[in-house]
Amino acid sequence: MSSESDNTTEPTEYQHDDDGGPQPEKHCGHGRGGMGEEVTRKEDKRFITGRGNYVDDIKKPRMLHCEIVRSPHAHARIEDIDGSRAMALDDVVAVLTADDLLEHGLATMPTLMDDTQDVLVNDKVKFQSQEVAAVIATDRYAAKDGAEKVEVEYDVLDPVIGAEEALEDDAPVIREELDDQDDNHIFDWETGDAEATDAVFDAADVTVEEQMEYQRLHPAPIETCGCVADWDPGDDKMTVHMTSQAPHAHRTLFSQVSGIPEHKVRIVSPDVGGGFGNKVPIYPGYVVAAAASYVLERPVKWVEERSENIQTTGFARDYDMTGELAATENGEIKGVKVDVLADHGAYNAAAQPSKFPAGFFNIFTGSYDIEAAHGSLTAAYTNTAPGGVAYRCSFRVTEAVYLIERMVKVLADELDLDPAEIRRRNFIPSDAFPYESATGWNYDSGDYEKALDKALEMADYDHYREEQQRRIEEDADKLIGIGISSFTEVVGAGPGKQCDIAGIEMFDSADLRVNPTGNAVLRVGVQTQGQGHETTFAQIIAEELGMDVDNIVVEHGDTDTEPYGLGTYGSRSTPVAGAAAAVAARKVRDKAKSIAANELEAAEEDIEWDRESGEFHVAGAPERSITITEIAAGAYMNHPGSEEPGLEATNYYDPPEMTYPFGSYIVIVEVDRETGEVDFEKFVAVDDCGNRINPMIIEGQIHGGLAQGIGTAMMEHVTYDDNGNVTGGDFMNYLLPTAKEIPNFDTGHTVTPSPHHPIGAKGVGESPTVGSPPAIVNAVVDAMSHSGVSHVEMPMTPDAVWEALDEAELTLEPSANVDFAFDTSEEPADD
Amino acid sequence: MKAASFEHHEPTTVEEAVSLLESLDEPTILAGGQSLVPMLRFRLARPDTVIDINGIDSLEYLHEEDGYLRIGALARHADVEDTDVIADRYGSFADAAPLIADPQIRNQGTVVGSMAQADPKGDWGSVLIAHDGEVTARGPDGERTIPVDELFLLPYDTSLMDDELLTEARVPAPVEGEGSAYHKLKRKTGDYAMAGVAARLVLDDDGRIEDAGIGMTAVDITNARAADAEAHLEGERPSADLFEEAGELAAEASNPESDEHGDAGYKERMVDVLTQRALGDAAERAGAVKRRVPQ
Ligand SMILES: Cc1cc2nc3c(=O)[nH]c(=O)nc-3n(C[C@H](O)[C@H](O)[C@H](O)COP(=O)(O)OP(=O)(O)OC[C@H]3O[C@@H](n4cnc5c(N)ncnc54)[C@H](O)[C@@H]3O)c2cc1C
Repeated sequence: MSSESDNTTEPTEYQHDDDGGPQPEKHCGHGRGGMGEEVTRKEDKRFITGRGNYVDDIKKPRMLHCEIVRSPHAHARIEDIDGSRAMALDDVVAVLTADDLLEHGLATMPTLMDDTQDVLVNDKVKFQSQEVAAVIATDRYAAKDGAEKVEVEYDVLDPVIGAEEALEDDAPVIREELDDQDDNHIFDWETGDAEATDAVFDAADVTVEEQMEYQRLHPAPIETCGCVADWDPGDDKMTVHMTSQAPHAHRTLFSQVSGIPEHKVRIVSPDVGGGFGNKVPIYPGYVVAAAASYVLERPVKWVEERSENIQTTGFARDYDMTGELAATENGEIKGVKVDVLADHGAYNAAAQPSKFPAGFFNIFTGSYDIEAAHGSLTAAYTNTAPGGVAYRCSFRVTEAVYLIERMVKVLADELDLDPAEIRRRNFIPSDAFPYESATGWNYDSGDYEKALDKALEMADYDHYREEQQRRIEEDADKLIGIGISSFTEVVGAGPGKQCDIAGIEMFDSADLRVNPTGNAVLRVGVQTQGQGHETTFAQIIAEELGMDVDNIVVEHGDTDTEPYGLGTYGSRSTPVAGAAAAVAARKVRDKAKSIAANELEAAEEDIEWDRESGEFHVAGAPERSITITEIAAGAYMNHPGSEEPGLEATNYYDPPEMTYPFGSYIVIVEVDRETGEVDFEKFVAVDDCGNRINPMIIEGQIHGGLAQGIGTAMMEHVTYDDNGNVTGGDFMNYLLPTAKEIPNFDTGHTVTPSPHHPIGAKGVGESPTVGSPPAIVNAVVDAMSHSGVSHVEMPMTPDAVWEALDEAELTLEPSANVDFAFDTSEEPADD
Repeated sequence: MKAASFEHHEPTTVEEAVSLLESLDEPTILAGGQSLVPMLRFRLARPDTVIDINGIDSLEYLHEEDGYLRIGALARHADVEDTDVIADRYGSFADAAPLIADPQIRNQGTVVGSMAQADPKGDWGSVLIAHDGEVTARGPDGERTIPVDELFLLPYDTSLMDDELLTEARVPAPVEGEGSAYHKLKRKTGDYAMAGVAARLVLDDDGRIEDAGIGMTAVDITNARAADAEAHLEGERPSADLFEEAGELAAEASNPESDEHGDAGYKERMVDVLTQRALGDAAERAGAVKRRVPQ
């Protein structure tokens, strides 16, 4: 995506070195905790010592508790709600239904895709566990007791489960309350050039096609969603402590929904126990708690149970995709086509920038230089929970990467080419950047072959190819499979003219204040849920001002004090707010120069900043130097008349472009021919996220994301039965991997800086979740592709893998290779 | 957890517990709580009174005595993992313990509680079947012994009376030439079995199978015995072919259901595979030698 943004980033020594471009890891390790140093996470002390402060830790005087009554049915009309038996309980204070909310104009709320969702069901239930009523009581047990006593009469309707079923002619209409809606179709979307793509396919030597489902997942953060809403009738002010990845955007939405003026709404996102995209949308529970607090004039806490979180809050994926590739017989890919059927659930509540109904899915040409591409997508309503959030990814880029990386493997098998070699033949060459893709994306920089080569070497690729062959020849009980994924991510939304959330452009912000004693506070518009911002953003400031990282504190998450920002998701914090922090620091540095000149009694033009020492000195006289600490004192105690006192700067950063992190992952698995179980033999991840701020935090992000990729590929699935009952809605059925299921990861990196980012960084939090599932599936398929297996659906349960083995006639009995003898006799026992 | 309210009693002797069981209206016993607490949390269990037996020190034991391995009602899964005599002599117990749930759950959950829970996906029921084990119940009328084959009636339903406390589970100590093993297929740590098989073999001096026990997990309405397979093994010498036949018989005896974790047909096939694997290990531990057959 190109943009005409005029938000120029100041050229600095860091960005522009002698030969013009950003230099990888040039300025690492001055010992002050700047760029490239493995600074210990500042936030960990409070987490490790049990002093974190999560929403559920917050207790306020006179606080009430909210429990939501949920529908057992997926599709039903509500005939009657009777809360009298609940109200009869001593500790129950109120029972709320849609009627009560209607009075205050809070019966519905907008979704991020401009649909309208009932806060409490007004007429018709549209998915199982939908919010029907709320009970407010003096403690959470009493609230739950009350919820059990609310009597709801339902007229049960036929549910519609599955997007394909939803689009059948005779399917019951789920959203009949909408004007002009007489079926379950939401929208069609198209990208690329159909004609050019058809032409390429017609002329191709070979074409391949594969259907694959990216199953419904849930981000499943360990902390569920919740809030404490506190209406203060004295100040006419609503304060909501909530699990929010985007506090400012939520403040604006909250104000719009409630009619409370925005300056009288304060959203605080305290410590958040994982978000992964789940905490980007607004949920009915937040609105109900706020409404209850407003009506009762007491603080109200609402915290979800685990199964409520999985069953009702934003799911991810659920794309049924058919991919096609056209290629020459030596494996040069000429065209790609994809057709998608998307299940959006009962409301269109996907969390995408508003102009992108299918998110960034059209980046499905991946890391390859492909002449023609075309994609089409149809979205449908079903009687399932709404969602389509960006689960640890940029808006559907995960689905796109899965599609292209799987298809490349399918093509490699069709042509009997090595999957590493076929990638090499098709990569966008490193000298072709900036590169515009067939679907209109402007890739900033990349060196895909370098990352792949590094991964191949780390994986001992040739050895495992030989081992794989040996096992096939010996008819061994365990087969080897080798899977590759050479993915490209697109992260860091804006630019604001292209990307917005509910109309608000996706810039971000930083506000840096240096105190008289030389330490500093950085406030940012993004919000950390485990990413380590309190450390990495401090490192950016340390680097840019020559300060010690311990002298910088990073604040986030409180809309009363932080500058406006769009929040943390889509790997946008470092690309956008990180850039804002660097630019704000450079503004401070500029002002610092004039103070330095004043202190050193030199002309401002003669003052130089030395990144290595972190000091300012007079040109040609390095001994006449001054540190930022001394300058800070000067700014407040001896400020030059030419400048305002103080040492502060703010920057709102609208990125000129997105950034394109990439990497190559190689997964080697052993597949058990008796049971279909898959073991990870080796897992190599080479990532390139441009210049690296804190390698240790990057490594941690990669590990976590790879674990989630393994969960995706092997276990996770929100399943429904035909009646719309969620059958995968708790941790006994929605399986997350534990440390036991996670192999050792061999991580490596290359560094290809972003040319347009002030510090050449790209964002990394999501690469592993995006890049690893296709590598894992490719590996399992690869173990069987010699017998014609071309695909296994995720999650690849032992059962699913065994079925694939069975179809390829590869299963084995345990008795195949052994026998028993008694004692130590050399001969097998006769029978 | 937001359980419905209940009354909590903490007896310190078996006698006190039994008299509470007798006097209170429909009381529920709390041992490790690893099955009961989730049921309380979902309000699937709504007892008025809970008798917490964790204060009865006399139930905390796990040892060999009088020709039995005796497991007191407060012996935790983790105790089984950590006891030397188990590691040395009870292959199936040593195999099963670390495969149950996760370490936190194993630190709390008890073997005897698992027997009372009678979850067809529980692992200990199969192990006790393979070992011809039994449990001891104490009620107002005194003590009685229930063979494991008579304990499980339906999922989560046993022949235990409402006013009886299980005090012990036990299996006969292994004889010369005995070996046992447990194999379990699960999708992750903390997950119950998709299928599990416990096998026990006793070989005579001649290397023939004198006695065989096979218990199956998660493939029927209760933990189940593969009686035909056991009968087929007895009097024969261990061999891959024999175990393959036994595996087929066990699979035939199983009745798995399809669910989120696997299709019924697959599970049946896995009973076959796991039976062969468990028999293989049991035979090895009983003194047979496993050899790879040249192709
Ligand atoms: C996530 C998870 C995974 C699990 N995975 C497995 C697994 O893989 N394999 C497996 O076998 N188990 C598994 N379990 C169950 C676990 O082993 C339990 O510990 C066990 O089933 C019950 O033992 P308990 O001591 O915790 O009993 P409790 O939960 O305290 O009680 C269970 C039931 O038995 C009754 N009871 C308990 N003790 C007695 C007694 N002495 N006399 C009479 N009645 C009694 C109780 O009243 C209650 O009805 C899992 C549990 C969880 C939560």
